[in-house]
Amino acid sequence: MKKLIISMATLLAITAVFAFTVLAQNWTITNKYNIQFSSNDVGGIFKTFTGSIAFDETNLAASKFDVTIDVNSINTGNGLQNKHAKSAEWFDAAKYPAIKFTSTKIVKAGAAYQVTGNLQIHGVTKEFTIPFTFKKAGAGATFNGSFTINRSDFKIGKPGGEVAEQIKVEVAVPVTKG
Amino acid sequence: MFKRLLLLGLVSGILAAAAALIYQKIYFKSNEIDFSAIIKPVNVLLVCILAGLLASVGYGLLTKWLPKAGEIIFNFVFVIVTFASIVGPIGFRLPLSYENPELFPGLTVPMHFFPALAWFTVKPLFIKK
Repeated sequence: MKKLIISMATLLAITAVFAFTVLAQNWTITNKYNIQFSSNDVGGIFKTFTGSIAFDETNLAASKFDVTIDVNSINTGNGLQNKHAKSAEWFDAAKYPAIKFTSTKIVKAGAAYQVTGNLQIHGVTKEFTIPFTFKKAGAGATFNGSFTINRSDFKIGKPGGEVAEQIKVEVAVPVTKG
Repeated sequence: MFKRLLLLGLVSGILAAAAALIYQKIYFKSNEIDFSAIIKPVNVLLVCILAGLLASVGYGLLTKWLPKAGEIIFNFVFVIVTFASIVGPIGFRLPLSYENPELFPGLTVPMHFFPALAWFTVKPLFIKK
């Protein structure tokens, strides 16, 4: 009888944890997102951004980001620069066609949040923390983030040169419940 | 002579603009793109006329100062300036909302040669030796 109670309690606990995990709201990324980067003399956008987002302000432990950027969708506004950015010297899009970010931890930071995860660019994976805000509006919401990446950390381009080491990235991702 | 030169500049500018606009239409249709918000027809017309008039003024001044070598110097300068001007469209940064910026030089680089082509083509009609 005691064994049965322990088994039932364990099952109940597992079920509760599983139910708790499922509770994090899934969000669908709309096509109005904006993934923008800029430095002193270059700037542009990535046109293709996909992934899955599960986020619940009241359940950060169950929240998760798993997103991908298509490197070939880079647009700097200049055809030659686009070609150069995709070349082996920079993103090497043929070999590393995607930028990936998978979250491992999300915490609240004041009125905003911080997501820590594995960021993979140019074949280099590093732990990276991104601060972001989350604003609900009706049935949808928007994630906004602004942060800086050191391109040399990911072996993008040659160190020094005309392009600054620090690249500012601004992300705006409108989502709908889904 | 001065009036003829100005007329040459004006006529060659209008011809160059007409050629540029026809080329633009064909380019848009064949590539299914539209840069007309950046390359406005009015601007194409004004720039072509300005280029034609500047070429005429340059020709007039050079042939006046250097009667023997003025013409050949002008021809060289006009062609070199035309070639050098293609750096502009190649380095131009389009607004990020445009999908295919790599197609932009294919439209604009040939257009940069139209004023010189038109000017040299109609010049014998206005300046007879």
